Amino acid sequence: MEQEIFQLSYLQAIVPELLLLVVGLLLLGVDLVLPEARKRELSVWAAAGFAIVALASPLAYLGEPQFVFGGMIGSEPLNAIFAFIFAMAAFLVALLSRDDERLEPSGVYYALIAFAVIGMDLMVAATDFIMLYLALELTGLSLYLLSAYDRRSRFSVEAGMKYFFYGSVASAVMLYGITFIAGLTGQTLYLGVRYLFASAVMPAWFGMGVLVLILAGVGFKVAMVPLHTWAPDVYEGAPTPVTAFLSVTSKAAGVMALMRLLVWIWGSLPSHAEMTSLIAALAIVTITLGNLFALRQKSFKRLLAYSSITQAGYVLVGVTALSPMGLTAVGFYLAIYAVTNIAAFTVLVLVSNRSGSDWLRDFVGLQQRSPALALALLVALLSLGGVPPFAGFVGKILLFAAALKSGFVWLVGAALANVLISLYYYLNAVRMAYTRAEEPVEPLSIPVASRWVLVIATAGIILGTILAYPLYHLLERAAMVWF
Amino acid sequence: MTLDSMAWLMLLPPVLAFWLIVLFFNRWKRLSHWTAIGAAFISFVLAQGIVIAGLRMGAEALAERPIHSLLPWLPTGATVLSLGVWIDPLTVALLFFVSITVLAIFVYSVGYMHGDPKYSRFFAFISLFAFGMFGLVVADDLLMLFIFWEIMGLCSYLLIGFWYHKPSAYRAAVKAFLTTRIGDVFMLLGIAYLYSQTGTLSYDVLFRNHEVLHRLATTPSVIGGLSVAALAGLLLFAGTVGKSAQFPLHVWLPDAMEGPTPVSAMIHAATMVSAGVYLVIRAFPLLSAGLGGAAGTPPKVAMGVIGAFTAFFAATIAVAQRDIKRVLAYSTISQLGYMIAALGVGAYVAAAFHLVAHAFFKALLFLGSGSVIVGMHHHQDMMEMGGLRKKMPITFWTFVAGGFALSGFPIITAGFWSKDEILAEAFHAAMGGSWLGWFVYTLLALGALLTAFYTMRQISLTFLGEPRSEHAEHAHETPWTMTAPLVVLAFFALTFGFVGVPEDFPVLGPLFGGNFFHHFVGATLMEEMETTPLNWVPLTISIVFALGGLYFGWWVYGRRPLEAGAPDPLERALGKLYTVLENKYYVDEFYDRLFIQPTIRLGAWVYKWIDRGVIDGILHTVAKAAVVSGQLFGWVDRVVINGGVDSAARGVGRMGEEGRRGLQTGLVQDYIFILAVFVILFVLVYFVRGAGL
Repeated sequence: MEQEIFQLSYLQAIVPELLLLVVGLLLLGVDLVLPEARKRELSVWAAAGFAIVALASPLAYLGEPQFVFGGMIGSEPLNAIFAFIFAMAAFLVALLSRDDERLEPSGVYYALIAFAVIGMDLMVAATDFIMLYLALELTGLSLYLLSAYDRRSRFSVEAGMKYFFYGSVASAVMLYGITFIAGLTGQTLYLGVRYLFASAVMPAWFGMGVLVLILAGVGFKVAMVPLHTWAPDVYEGAPTPVTAFLSVTSKAAGVMALMRLLVWIWGSLPSHAEMTSLIAALAIVTITLGNLFALRQKSFKRLLAYSSITQAGYVLVGVTALSPMGLTAVGFYLAIYAVTNIAAFTVLVLVSNRSGSDWLRDFVGLQQRSPALALALLVALLSLGGVPPFAGFVGKILLFAAALKSGFVWLVGAALANVLISLYYYLNAVRMAYTRAEEPVEPLSIPVASRWVLVIATAGIILGTILAYPLYHLLERAAMVWF
Repeated sequence: MTLDSMAWLMLLPPVLAFWLIVLFFNRWKRLSHWTAIGAAFISFVLAQGIVIAGLRMGAEALAERPIHSLLPWLPTGATVLSLGVWIDPLTVALLFFVSITVLAIFVYSVGYMHGDPKYSRFFAFISLFAFGMFGLVVADDLLMLFIFWEIMGLCSYLLIGFWYHKPSAYRAAVKAFLTTRIGDVFMLLGIAYLYSQTGTLSYDVLFRNHEVLHRLATTPSVIGGLSVAALAGLLLFAGTVGKSAQFPLHVWLPDAMEGPTPVSAMIHAATMVSAGVYLVIRAFPLLSAGLGGAAGTPPKVAMGVIGAFTAFFAATIAVAQRDIKRVLAYSTISQLGYMIAALGVGAYVAAAFHLVAHAFFKALLFLGSGSVIVGMHHHQDMMEMGGLRKKMPITFWTFVAGGFALSGFPIITAGFWSKDEILAEAFHAAMGGSWLGWFVYTLLALGALLTAFYTMRQISLTFLGEPRSEHAEHAHETPWTMTAPLVVLAFFALTFGFVGVPEDFPVLGPLFGGNFFHHFVGATLMEEMETTPLNWVPLTISIVFALGGLYFGWWVYGRRPLEAGAPDPLERALGKLYTVLENKYYVDEFYDRLFIQPTIRLGAWVYKWIDRGVIDGILHTVAKAAVVSGQLFGWVDRVVINGGVDSAARGVGRMGEEGRRGLQTGLVQDYIFILAVFVILFVLVYFVRGAGL
């Protein structure tokens, strides 16, 4: 495991992160000199910055998989792909933030998004426990502040505080777990730890105990039951664009970090059946609980919050497979889920701009007010519900096929039953949008920035189906690196 | 550009046009119709390009190595679900007429739909319809065929019910959708059965691999006495019975007249019903695989019996209809029966030949009748027409061309050559001693007589004599967008037959290059198809029946034109039988009594007893159980959480509102407590188990 700490060429592996740093700092600087009246322009600058980062993200892969910076992070295709996904999500959210009339984003707001993305990129890329912890904290701290960004809203501040308190405890527990590993093995590099796990020097029960401690930190990011409790409150209280952002990106980063830990380290335990059944159990509990709670929501925002918990559960089904196919499906689903959820939240932002609340009943008559918006909602929710021909359908097929292949028939059966349940509340929201309002309604126009968000997201949802094979193929090759 | 990429590209324009019109262009009528027509034109050019390239390659080469291209689409573990295109001589023949008729109908629609409030929507739907048909024709396996089949089913529903403010229109739409669906269910069963037996749905394996065919034909199926091939073939044929409106599922097609006339032309010629016949032609190797009785395999017998019966049965009904489009509708059912029956006696090429020829003249007849209807200000009763010959000359002459082709007027119409080929093959089979051959030949020959008769009746009532109503008096010729397609189609209705003149036909045979169509399409089967030697007996009978029927029709209706308000002369001659025919043998009423009313009664009963009684009862019990368990959980929650927090005393533990009092208290200390419980519990569990305590 001899690895150079630094070479100049290593910098290329973190080009997206370096660029994000530059973007963040520039936005902070511009914010100082820009007059108050022109603050809205910042969103365009931020979006342009994130777009550049997205375009530059393939550079992070140095041509062949390798470790850089002393093994702290890896340079591999999957990291580059997720750097792209996160930057795209940041791009869409930056545009969306401009159109939320209850939010007045400043340079700090966009800079925090940039810093959060740095953290998430590193969470995916981390191959060292210290690196993982630092990345998790960087992500967390940025997101806490973003959640509390709307200082005029009591709920937003409350959300930020809860998020912060919960996150601090969760990462402390995780750090406690890491100390066990470091203390007993003298190693923090994944590969070193893996070696000791595989050689059976470490008793299995010890490995499992440590996993539970680490799950506290990573599972908190994923918002898997029972570590999800913070999520509904934070999702509901935070400004809607921030909710959109953290419900897709930090979840995705958490899932990828978890999957890497499981595949690289715990998967090497001589008997890892116990570990996969733990994850499988948590997956199905996550799916079911999120679903049941989503069923009764009257607030669309809270409905999407619980739906996000359920969606993370589906991804965990793919994680359980612990196979190249599972990893590919997880990557595919996370990418699709990102655009789909952002599309749904965009519709919410535009509707609540007028109504001033998040209630589901505000959606009645949406089809009359703006057919395009109603259609976007339809596409997004059907995709979340896994209805063909939208990409969510393809994604679910891939996840479930991977789990089936690894022998989790009961898990897939239970997940499928839940897909049916989830259709109830997704279609209910669609039904609202397509119900005629009783009193006359005023038309709702879609601002330019949101229009682009919707077009890109909807295109993603449809292209995900059409281009299923090439995308799968790309991800599959990237996923093979881990195995 | 390679042929396979042309085939892929050909599919795109119509579906793009559909989405563009639906999403963006629907407010601009001209833009909408230009988009649709432009798309149809691009597809037309590409399709004809494929046809020309296919002709250049030659039938043998194309049959030996069909253009086959696969696009992987959905990875499903070890295998990948692929979409593919498949071009062999049969595909080429289909593409030839589909692209021409589709384009003609699109152009025609501009005139026919003029001023309709849902003009743009119409063009969007027919674009999707065309997409369905193109996709079906180039599909390379049964699954893809089925997908496009269903797209067309949807389009037919949308278009038949296009004027949904008319109750008759939406009822017809529902009827069409449900009736064809009966066939589709059986067809899907057949597809699933084939997949379970072979693990593939590809044409290449199912219809071309002799080993597979042999295995399917020799394996007994779940139903005693039938081989797998026979059972699957019968199930597939059921799909055709629905889609191509064969007895007993023919009832939807006449009602489908409620849609705008270009839609009728689409359904009757270019797309829907042709798809059904195409399926059985495509699946012919499977349908005829293995041994059967003296008459052939069970699917072939079924096709022969049902096809011939339908051909005759529908022709008798057509004789007594008054609505100009209904006559044509029954004539379509009848003509489709000819094709199906032809397959029953093994006349593979003849069926394909008649399919193409029929598409041309039936599209022509429908568009012609639409032109009459527009000229007559949307009146369709032939008894009110008359004398339109001078008022609508182009419509008249083209209609006569189409009508004569339908009747099989000798030599100069396409219908003569194609229908004669079927009759000759059936006669040949009959001579071979097959009872099915006799059955088919007799009914088809009699059907041909009736066909010529009702065609002349239609022409006479509509165009000859003096106007019998106000509207006929003021009828006028339609604009060029409607007449130009008529002229183009009339050209094909007359001349297309010359590609299939039997080799040994005196003078004409050698002149037209010796039955080119037969060699070209016949090559698809990749085995030498013997051509039936020219036999003067059926030929003479055909000619006599065609001319006799036409003359008889003229004698009854044309010689002494009907007075306004006078009854149909046939009514007096046939008496009660006329009423039976006019009411289509009361099949609809029969179905209503036998299926529809009992179903409605069953539904009411189920609602009353099962739904309200049993299911609601269970649900209420479950709901009660949920409340009780909710209280139980609430109690557990309170007790567990009470240990750490003092907030538990609030309220009653109801399971509602996401268990606000259980998991989601809104207090972060409770959340952290749950985290702690989780971590400590599991660490303890693993520790205890690991330490073996």
